[in-house]
Amino acid sequence: MFSIIFNKKSIAASSVIGLNERNIKLIYPNNPKKHYPLADDKVLTKEILHQNDIPCAKTYAVIEYNSDIKKAWESCKQYNAVAIKPANGCGGGGIKILKKNKEGDWMSSGEVITDRQVFQHMASIIMGFFSLGSHDRVLIEECIEPHPFFHEIYPQGVPDFRIITLNNTPLMGMLRMPTDRSDGKANLHQNGVGIGIDMKEGRLLEVYDGKKYSNHHPDSTFLVNGAPIPYWEEILEICISTAKAFPLNYLGIDIVIDKNKGPQIMEINVRPGLGIQLVNKTGLKEVIKEAI
Amino acid sequence: MNLKPNLKIALIIITIIALISIGFKAKPILGNYDDFNPEKVYKITYRFFFKSGDKNTTLKTYIPTTNSRQRISGEQIKNDSLLFFTKQKEKHQNIRAIWETNDTNSYHSIDYEFIFEGKAKHYKIPNTFNKLSEEYDEYLKATNDIQSNDSIINTLASGLIQNTKNDREIIKNIFDYVYEIPSAPIITLTDALTTIKQNKASCNGKSRLFVALCRNMGYPARVKGGIIVENANKRTSHAWVEVLINQTWVPFDGLNNHFAFIPANYLELYQGDKPLITHTADIQFDYSYQIDEVNHVSFLKMNSEELHKLPGFSLWNLVDKKIIPKGALNLLLLLPIGGLLVAFLRNIVGLKTFGVFLPVLIAFSLSHTGFVSGIAIFVGLIMFIGLIAYPFDKLRLLYTPKLVISLTIMVSLIVVATHFGVKNNIEWLTKLTFFPIIILTISAERFSRSTLEDGYIKAMDKLFQTLIATSISYLILSWTWLPSVLILFPEIVLLIVVLATFLGRYIGIRWIELFRFKPLFNSENKKLNF
Repeated sequence: MFSIIFNKKSIAASSVIGLNERNIKLIYPNNPKKHYPLADDKVLTKEILHQNDIPCAKTYAVIEYNSDIKKAWESCKQYNAVAIKPANGCGGGGIKILKKNKEGDWMSSGEVITDRQVFQHMASIIMGFFSLGSHDRVLIEECIEPHPFFHEIYPQGVPDFRIITLNNTPLMGMLRMPTDRSDGKANLHQNGVGIGIDMKEGRLLEVYDGKKYSNHHPDSTFLVNGAPIPYWEEILEICISTAKAFPLNYLGIDIVIDKNKGPQIMEINVRPGLGIQLVNKTGLKEVIKEAI
Repeated sequence: MNLKPNLKIALIIITIIALISIGFKAKPILGNYDDFNPEKVYKITYRFFFKSGDKNTTLKTYIPTTNSRQRISGEQIKNDSLLFFTKQKEKHQNIRAIWETNDTNSYHSIDYEFIFEGKAKHYKIPNTFNKLSEEYDEYLKATNDIQSNDSIINTLASGLIQNTKNDREIIKNIFDYVYEIPSAPIITLTDALTTIKQNKASCNGKSRLFVALCRNMGYPARVKGGIIVENANKRTSHAWVEVLINQTWVPFDGLNNHFAFIPANYLELYQGDKPLITHTADIQFDYSYQIDEVNHVSFLKMNSEELHKLPGFSLWNLVDKKIIPKGALNLLLLLPIGGLLVAFLRNIVGLKTFGVFLPVLIAFSLSHTGFVSGIAIFVGLIMFIGLIAYPFDKLRLLYTPKLVISLTIMVSLIVVATHFGVKNNIEWLTKLTFFPIIILTISAERFSRSTLEDGYIKAMDKLFQTLIATSISYLILSWTWLPSVLILFPEIVLLIVVLATFLGRYIGIRWIELFRFKPLFNSENKKLNF
């Protein structure tokens, strides 16, 4: 009776880590709560990355007060493309990608955007509209151009790698890609797909769409399974140096590959999800055992 | 579960202490188990004062007997030695207490005291009733005040019979007709006909009319006399009606709207259309019924003093001295149990809920509103909040002011609904008292916050899971014994701490994760087979 309730048998037999075990065995002992802001606040994350010369999107400006918006935006106008983000946003809310068109006007989601609209957006970030009522900061940074490798698999949106590290060792990884149904988002919960990664060989494995596995992205015919990942060595290297740079020992590190600059750290996560085990068809416990 | 040795020892010691303490009390408590389970227990004292007349003086009153839904015990009679007391069994199982004296022109007082334990009882009424034997003829006869053969009653009865399909509908029509008559505290005797003419009546007039209509249509019926007991000093008695339906006397109260139902606090004293007290004419006489609610544990035969004498520690003192109101004390004691339940549902089953105590608190509110209507109100209001939040999201208002708007609209809606409910007599709309409103408001806040953080679909999913957790909490917390058990055995709180510690170190897979990671478990089994 007790063993049914507490799933005793499956604990012994399984190498899958559930939320309870993730919290008690991985997060609580490895990630001190006082250091969470280093991962949750994108501005703080980037400060540490810059200090350690870890490649990441260049920070153009950080805006803390409404009065600084105008000056900061003037200084950013020299660039051809920028990304505007709330430092503490949740669920990707409040992120705007701005690009100049041929006439030199700023475009957002295919439409011309005026300076006034840009100011308004920044003001609502500062007022906390995207971070549940608390005051926030605006982060303006370099816009990442995805590497052509991804276009072969699926041409739209920005795909990213998620690598789990424990004590500076990369354990497991996946590539998250948008689909026709995911509205540009690469998140598994929002109809994106996850692709497993052979960490030793640096090759892609099967594509998992939340229900079934296949060798193709659902919207293309490119054979994904077995494709070598460009810059794989560099990706592992910057993961390890990122893990070393933060006082947090269990991390989910998000990485994109820029067309010109190669792998870049996007953000780090102190409570990485467990779906990555499904994508790789492997329990984390098995991988941790091998790593030690 | 991997606990540190010190922690393990501490938990074992706590468990042993709790179990020993429980063990001391368990024996006397188990020995006093009571299967009657009364809902209400009152100490009732009839107090009579009179000055005897020139000749023999007599005072008579009905006293109650035990039946399937009321238990009478602890009878005590205090009267002066000049009064002669007898008990007399009368027709129809009525019992009368009689005090007599030859002492003329002197003052006397009587205290007649007993303990009343009552249960509510619902009766099922079949659609058609069986034919009756002749032994019930006397319950069909007309009397002076129950003029069941009068032509006015005839006309009224044939009107009530129209468009009915069966006996049950006829009884329902009679009941509704009598219930619709405005009630008024009329002291003088109101017979069945006068009740129709005046179109207002007290319990007596209504009961006589009810009985007259039943008898006119051939349903044996009788007036029932008693007292509605409540924590007070009162002088009013009460009358209702019983109709014989398939060998069972089924109660109806056309004044207080009880259809085939008798509440727990109805003290049954006698049957028949009679006054409760009779005495020799032309004497000075005064009386009152002093009624005090007695704290009790429904499943125990022990009285308050016996409970005080229980070995070890119990919270009976808090109950008895009324230091904390009973409802508040129950809520306080059930909160940890509810919390443990939710912890189980979250960490072992894997349900996602809004907060830890919110499902428990919602379950408490449901006990005020009733389960089905409570859930309906809850879901309705939260959906409504979700809908009205949508345009304000589009307006790009800041989070906190937007919340204020939502909550203001919700409070207004509750007030309007309650007003509407009172006006149109829709009972379930009027049940949103202070406590449920607070809980609903907090839940709505959590929901709208979740729509922002996780999106509408996830928030709905979380709401659904919260409702499941709420229903399970309700099932367990509405078990009426639970608060009494916790009052008698407060050590259970220690066991809750022990269990929660185990839960807190639990690293197994949650039940919901078994489904989520199903492909992984399947592939693992395959690996094992190779």
